[in-house]
Amino acid sequence: MTATIIFGLLIVLMLTGMPVSIALGLTVLTYLFALTDVPIEAVALKLFTGIENFEIMAIPFFILAGNFLTHGGVARRMIAFATSMVGHWYGGLGLAGVVACAFFRGDLGLFAGDGGRDRLDRPAGDGGAGLPQAVRCGVIATSGALGILIPPSIVMVIYSVATGGSIAMDPQGNRVLSASVGQLFMAGVIPGLMLASMLGATTWYRAWKNDYPRMPKASWAECFTAFRKSIWGLLLIVIVLGGIYTGAFTPTEAAAMSAVYAFVIAVFVYKDMGLKDVPRVLLGSASMSAMILYIVTNAVLFSFLMTSEQIPQQMTAWVTSSA
Amino acid sequence: MLLRILDRLEEIIIASLMAAATLLIFVAVVHRYGTGVPWLYPYFIQLHISWAQELCIYMFVWMAKFGAAYGVRTGIHVGVDVLVNQLKPVLRNKVVLFALFCGALFTFVVGTMGLKFVIELYATDQVSADLEAPRWIVFSAVPAGSYLMCFRFLQVAWTFWKTGALPHHDESHVEGIELDTAPPPQGAAR
Repeated sequence: MTATIIFGLLIVLMLTGMPVSIALGLTVLTYLFALTDVPIEAVALKLFTGIENFEIMAIPFFILAGNFLTHGGVARRMIAFATSMVGHWYGGLGLAGVVACAFFRGDLGLFAGDGGRDRLDRPAGDGGAGLPQAVRCGVIATSGALGILIPPSIVMVIYSVATGGSIAMDPQGNRVLSASVGQLFMAGVIPGLMLASMLGATTWYRAWKNDYPRMPKASWAECFTAFRKSIWGLLLIVIVLGGIYTGAFTPTEAAAMSAVYAFVIAVFVYKDMGLKDVPRVLLGSASMSAMILYIVTNAVLFSFLMTSEQIPQQMTAWVTSSA
Repeated sequence: MLLRILDRLEEIIIASLMAAATLLIFVAVVHRYGTGVPWLYPYFIQLHISWAQELCIYMFVWMAKFGAAYGVRTGIHVGVDVLVNQLKPVLRNKVVLFALFCGALFTFVVGTMGLKFVIELYATDQVSADLEAPRWIVFSAVPAGSYLMCFRFLQVAWTFWKTGALPHHDESHVEGIELDTAPPPQGAAR
């Protein structure tokens, strides 16, 4: 019953088109005020302490790094590299899209704004060697999700933080420990690569069956040039993963390092953006991270309500009783 | 005029907090490894930046609160507007205004609760763990940011009422991937 009210309220509020964060917060506030005697002052405190956590701070850093990479032309070079490697196979452009999403999306670590992805495969498409519009969109839409598996992934950071202090039991009643951000990152690599290769195989098969046009094969020299140009972007993954895995940095520190690294690469190595563009990138990243952090804060509030009303337990009971 | 100054100030604050926090953590990491280098040791050991993490968190909390207000102005907050956009214009306007006022209400309530909390905290002399900064200054991010956000919601609602325009953040536009002007990928060259 409680669960129905809470989720009903949440869905109604969300459907009015208000920001998701506000809908979450307002649901909690309304429910606590109208139906319980939990002091609402606790909510204000939660709004602050909800994100008072060093692990969460990886999110703004990764977003900043990602923005420097896109603005600095690193993204473009990595796509060019991917295209030069697999562009001549059947559905090569789709494959390049998958590869680009796997690496570049991993670099970005951003799950928001996936819509931008449909622009990735444009250059090739304009060249007349592309896939049909629907196929391209499909490929990019599905492989855009690879970014949450291949580190650094913001979703993993949020998961790790959200489950950090919680006590969970497996069906046998043993305590289940939550995973650290580093462990989650490591755990994501193999499944991410598997998924990427499966997506690639599907793309290839479809292109082969329908005999979509292919691109001319890039020579080894061209491949090497593209690789050399994109090496700085690829190195970032090595720094982040290597740093976390060897224990040189905490995930948040790795994120900050990658932001500084991406800044140096964008401004001083590739020179695609000047120092005067930096404030704009900072502002864009700051507002994007503020939006995400605001959702996280309100989600913390929401989980506070869930816990205090014991919704998870009720749901478990409901599921086990109806099974 | 005053509004323009507020707008600029908001942008400057969040952008510089972002930059400062990044540099701070970078310096902290460099410091940690630099202390291990023999010839740097005498210089680095005199420097104590164990408070870096805490300061970084506070900077980001402030950035998040003001950035959220900035986000209201620029329309970056994600919402589910699929259903609303299907409605008839008259009804749609009402729903959108309702949503905006809900936003204003929520932020106002939160801001007020935060303010009460900060006032209580002001009397207690609590300081933070590493920086030993007064806790009330740190916590005043909640009322300040929330009231600003409330103001922004009302501002957006007012503009919407007058002109029917909502700030909109174009998700599909990614700066820096202007592929039309970019050189064609290596393989495509014929």
